[in-house]
Formats: sequence, C-alpha cells, structure tokens
Amino acid sequence: MSDHALSAARPRLRLPSVPGVAIVLVALAVVFALISPNFLSTGNLSNILVQSVILLLLALPMTLIIMTEGLDLSMGAVLTLASLVLALTVVSTQSLVLGLASAVGVGLAFGFVNGWLVSALRIPPFVATLGTLGVAQGLALIVSDGQSVVGIPRFVRLVYSGETAGIPNPILIGAAFYALFHVLLYHTKFGVYIRALGGNRDALTLAGVKWQRMLIAVYMLGGAMAGFAALLMTARMNAGHPTAAIGMEFDAIAAVALGGTSFERGNGWIFGTLLGVLTVGILRNGLNLMAVPSSAQVACIGALVIFALFLDGMRSRKP
Amino acid sequence: MRAAVKSPPAPEVLEEKPDLGTPLLELKGISKQFPGVKALDDVSFAIWPGEVHMLLGENGAGKSSLMKCLCGAYQADAGEYFHKGEKVEIRTPADAKKLGIAVIFQEFSLVPYLDIAQNIFLGREFKSRVPGLLDRRRLYAEAQKVLDRIGLEVDPRTKVHTLGVAQQQMVEIAKALSQDASILVMDEPTAALSDRETERLFAVMRQLQAKGTAIVYISHRMAEVFALGDRITVLRDGKNVGRAIPGETSPDQLVRMMVGRNVDMSYPRNFRAPGEVVLELKDLSATNGIADINLVVRAGEIVGLCGLVGSGRTEVARAVFGADAVTSGEVRVFGRVKTGGPDLSAAEGIALIPESRKTEGLALIRTVSDNLAVAGLPKLFPNHLFSPGRARRSAEELIKRLRIATPSPNQSVGLLSGGNQQKVVIGKWLAAGARLFIFDEPTRGIDVGAKSEIFALIDQLVGEGAAVLMISSEQAEIVHVCDRAYVMRGRRIVGELSRSELSEENIVRMGMHDE
Repeated sequence: MSDHALSAARPRLRLPSVPGVAIVLVALAVVFALISPNFLSTGNLSNILVQSVILLLLALPMTLIIMTEGLDLSMGAVLTLASLVLALTVVSTQSLVLGLASAVGVGLAFGFVNGWLVSALRIPPFVATLGTLGVAQGLALIVSDGQSVVGIPRFVRLVYSGETAGIPNPILIGAAFYALFHVLLYHTKFGVYIRALGGNRDALTLAGVKWQRMLIAVYMLGGAMAGFAALLMTARMNAGHPTAAIGMEFDAIAAVALGGTSFERGNGWIFGTLLGVLTVGILRNGLNLMAVPSSAQVACIGALVIFALFLDGMRSRKP
Repeated sequence: MRAAVKSPPAPEVLEEKPDLGTPLLELKGISKQFPGVKALDDVSFAIWPGEVHMLLGENGAGKSSLMKCLCGAYQADAGEYFHKGEKVEIRTPADAKKLGIAVIFQEFSLVPYLDIAQNIFLGREFKSRVPGLLDRRRLYAEAQKVLDRIGLEVDPRTKVHTLGVAQQQMVEIAKALSQDASILVMDEPTAALSDRETERLFAVMRQLQAKGTAIVYISHRMAEVFALGDRITVLRDGKNVGRAIPGETSPDQLVRMMVGRNVDMSYPRNFRAPGEVVLELKDLSATNGIADINLVVRAGEIVGLCGLVGSGRTEVARAVFGADAVTSGEVRVFGRVKTGGPDLSAAEGIALIPESRKTEGLALIRTVSDNLAVAGLPKLFPNHLFSPGRARRSAEELIKRLRIATPSPNQSVGLLSGGNQQKVVIGKWLAAGARLFIFDEPTRGIDVGAKSEIFALIDQLVGEGAAVLMISSEQAEIVHVCDRAYVMRGRRIVGELSRSELSEENIVRMGMHDE
C-alpha cells in the first residue's frame, strides 16, 4: 500500500487539458468568421488586440488580487478618476510624464486605501472596494464638474494611435505588461506569496512572513495599473470623460473568471487571463460587427462566463 | 439513583531532575488563557540535545497549546523561556525560528497551489543573481535533496493539492527538516503515515538525534512512546501531571496519569431496562472512511461513542444521518433500512445535534421561537401555512418543558448561554418528533452547572422512550452517563464496554492501544 502511495504522483506523461476558455475562444472566432467576412481581416484582428489592451491592463492585476481571495470593484471608477486627473494635468502642463505620474499616483492612493482596509481593518474586499468605488466615482464627477475634459495634446493621442516598428503602440504596451506580470507571478517572492495569501495565510505567518504589507502591495499594484490604463483610455477617447470606464471592473473580473482563475485557495494562472481578455475582446468586436447594442453585449459576456465555468466544472468533476 | 464513579487517586508526580547539565530549551511556568478556559496552567518543560521528549495527554490536555507557545504561534500570558540557560522571548514565529525551533504541524501549513519545493522553502526563498528574481534551479535541487533524505519519491515540482494526505504529511516533515533546526517539534507525525513511511521517519529521527537535535514528540501511540522516547511528560487539563523515563514506567501508569482526575463528578441518571432496538448498524462502511461498524442502540439507552479526535466518531454520526454515503452494510432505524439523505432524517425521527451548534445547529440572530420551529415545520404546519401564534404556543410549551432560561420566545438565540442554546437545539428536534438523538460533544463550551442540566434533559429524553447515541471526548461524562459505550480507533470500532466495564482507563487503553 505504501508503495502505491509513494509512487502515485511520480512524474508521468501529462496531457495538457484544454481549458474551457480556449474552447470558447476558438468557437467564438469560428462563429464570427462565418457570420461576418470582415472578422478575419488583418485590420480587424489587429483591432481586436488593440482594443483589448486596456482590459488586459486591468485584468492582469485583478488576477493577482483574486488569487489572494480578494476582489477590486473600484478599478473602473479609479481608472475614470485617474483619466480625468491625467487629462487635466496634461492640458495645463503639456507634460506626458507629469500626466502619467498623476494618474498612477491616484491609482496608488486608492490601491493603498483598498489594501489597508482589507489587510489592516479586515473589511471584506467586496465591501471595502465597493466603498472606494463610490468615492472614486464621486470624485470623478467633482473634479470634472460633470463635463468632459477636452484639448488633449497630440503626443498623448499617439500613445494609443501611434506605431513603433510597424506594431501599434497599445499591443507593445500590453505585451510588455503581460511579460512583467508573468515574471512577477512565476519568478519572484511576491508571486509565491500571492498564492500563499489565497491558499494558506497561516503558512505565511508561521514562516515569519509579514504578509499584511504584501496584501496592501497587491491592491496598490491594481491601482497603479488602473493609472497606466487611464493613459491609454484618455489617448483613445481624446478626452477625459467622467463616466469613461464605469463598470469596466465587470469585464476585468469576467476575463479573470473566464481564464480559469479560482476565487478560492490561490489557484490561478496569468495565461488564462490573457485568453479570457481576448475572448471578451473577440465577443465585443464580433457583436459590434453584427451591430449588437453594448447593453446586450454585457449580457452576452455574463452568459459566456457562466458557460466557460460550466465547462471547467464538468471537466473537474470527472475523476 | 445517582451514579457517582470515584476516580482513582492521581499517581504521584515523578519529579526527578536529570543531571544532564543545562537544557537546550527550558520553559518555566507557562500559562495561556482563552475565554472561558485555561489552556495551559503553570507548565514547565525542558529538553536536552539529542533526546526525544514524548508529550502525552488526552484530547484538550494542552499539548497543542504548549507546542504553539513554543513555536510562537501563541503568546504565553505568563512564563519564561531559557535557551542554553539564557532567558529569551518567544513572541512570534520569527523568534522561534531564530532559536532553531521547527515544527511539524498536524493541521497542514501547506499552500495548495504552490509546488512541493516552494512549500518546503516558503519564507526562505533562494535569490537569483538577477535582483528581485528567484533561483528556481537551486530551489528544486535543494528540495530534491530533502526529499531524498526522507525517501519521498515525488517530483518537487508537483503541486501540493494533488498529493494524498500521507504525502502532504511527508512534505510537512521535509519542510521542518530543511530548516536544520536544533529543536524539532512533531505533533502526531505518524497519524497519517503508512508503516514504510513511518519507519523512514524514525530512521531520520535517529540520524538527527545522533547530530544532537532535540525532538519534542506528541503521540497517542503507546508503542511509539516506548520505542522512541528518552523522557516523557504528561499533561492533563493544561497542567504538568507527571514526568517519567520509559524504562521506569508502564503504559498503565501513563494512562492513569493521563486520565486521573480529582474532580468529583456526579450526574443524575436513571438506568432502565432497554426497550426495542432503535438504531442498528450492520457492517457499515461509508465514503468518509469508516469501516465495518456494528452497533446497536435501544430505546431508553444512552450509548457512548468514544475514541480520540479523528478516530471516526463524527463520521459514524454523519453516515447514520445520511450526510455521507454508505458504501456497504446497512443502517436500520426503527427496524427499517434507511436510504434517504439528511433531508429525510427528520421525518424518520432522527436528530443530529452537532458539535458546532453555533454554525450548524442554530440560526443565532433569529429568535428562540423561530429556532424551535425550524425542524418541526412539516409536523407543526401540515398544510404548509405558517402560523406565528401556533409556532409561539409550541415554543412556549418547549421552553417550559426543557426549562430554557429565556426572557421570551422572541429573544435572539445568540444572546442565550451555551447550555440554553443546546437546549434550544434539543427542543427543535423534539418539536420535529425525533426519537433517536445523536449528540456530538453535547457539553462542549458549556459550563459545569449547565452540563448536569443537559444530562438531566438527556436522561429525561430516554425516560420518555427515546434512544441516544452520544459522542464525547470527555471520557468522564461517558463513564457517568452511558449505559454502554463503543470505542473507536482508526475509523473502526475496536471494542464495546458494558456499564460495569466502563472506566476512563479502559476507554483510553482501548482507544490508543497498538496492535
């Protein structure tokens, strides 16, 4: 019996099980390709990637936050506020660096508050970030007086619409951040502790790790990423708008869930999130080509999340 | 009639000071208080290099608390620590680590979605030459070395959640060994291991001993105590009750030290001739691991189910109630084979009164009246229409009958004392018409006075023809209250004790005896 027990997990041939999200992604691409001949054009495919980058910038840190058994509902609102602050800053100073710094600063501040509420005051992440969502949304309306901020300089717009070495800038930015998060999760102490934060916090405590700071840092990372996303958002819309990214956290959480990251025990992977983001991107793009209104698109994303999780659930139930 | 069993006199404390020079680590006068219970009361304890010090005691004797104070997971309220004769502080796990203390925990301190190597070196990651990054090659090489040492033939890249319990225990052991600790604390390390793995662990322990590592070993297996131990400390009710050297003591003497109580207990109990068979388990095995359980409970009887925590007592209750599926054998209730799940158990007249009444037995913020009505809804309101008046009348009747101390039926249950909450749980099942009651630790967290009231109530239940199966870790209560008792070990029943055979010593001896 002991022989069996010891040899059970010896390395054996592992067939990569195809995650539900990959099946959904391919199925969607095929369906849209059949319905709309435009879908597979190089221009449209590039479009899908470009339009997915802002979501990717939110979904990457959201993956880490969810892996700690947390949640950040404030991301969309913080992005909106950061975008307005950035717009106001660049319009008055004509400095991209100052603009980006102010946006990331706003994000870091909200991230710190989120992390502090969750880590030090032990407020459930859902409630804590729902609170900061309200605060950020309110501040966005106050600083903008409910009006769009216009007159964004051309050098800001180029961040989104320009190209470097023939590749659209947003794709390069997205690829760089994806690589950064991959290294962060799989090759640093921080990444190891993120899994432990969700999987077994007592293990960290007993190992003498001061994880409270780590938890705050995870939320601050989320805030900072909302700041970077704000730059792309402002450049894309050529304005700061007080309701620009309302509800964007829904897409981000959906992409993470689609990607197969679990809300329990620190189980998650960053590549799944990339697939999840692309799935949401393809769905939005395809539905746009079919002229489906955006309100119906939200319903479709919701249904898709349930379907992908259903596929994963079906598979994990088999022995 | 009052059944009062006199406990045997406590054996003398063997207080010999070994002449071994300065201990590696000495704890003096450690006390730790939790709300309502003194977990450790003036405990002293010393270990010398190269020895295995066995820590013995019943469930709740304070072994785990002492261990947690030792590794910094708990902070002692009072007491002093001396390391090689020098006074030191252990306030945090980091303090304990600095002194070279490593612990193999029983409840696993592993992270499920990290791999074996990452778990072994959690908090002690290897830095790569590139700043900020980890040296993964070194991580897996070092992990492989530790695994080779304990003979665990599993790839260190395997995620821990895919491992079985025995393998996880081995990883836990690897984690502690890799710290090259001078003091190693093991909490029942062999509980989940097979014979081969156990032998391997003992071999590693002997190597460590030869190197001068001091080992604190908590065990419930007598054979291990005598095979491995150089010194024995016995705890009871959070106090030091004895020290011994294996060569100079016997298992019987140790058992007496563990159970010897001088609390004078007497609970009201009327023993009657038992009636018809109410519950019968025939060769019952279930998915939760229990095997070949044979057991009978008759009307008018209180039957005890004892054994160590984890011996399978609660699992038997869950299988009877239908919460875990039966794989072979059968459960007969009132002569009929039970097939339904927990939802049908109430209709079949079975009541399960769980150990954690606050989470599983009661809706704390709801009223006494609501809680009393909840299991009996189909019986009280056969036409599916709820009537508050009727619920209140039924509640008032139960409050009177069970003497529940509550200002009104509309009081929140959460505001009642533990004893009265337990009465509400019992009343809830009475309202549902239950005639077979399964109690899991019925007196946990209930003060002494309320305990005898609960037992009076249980006695009243059997007097009215109910049958009771009572799971308890308090051997004294089983001895005082039960007509008969079954003893479990390793998810099987290992013996039955009649009223005349019932004694704490017999229960403990059966529950921990090695084959």
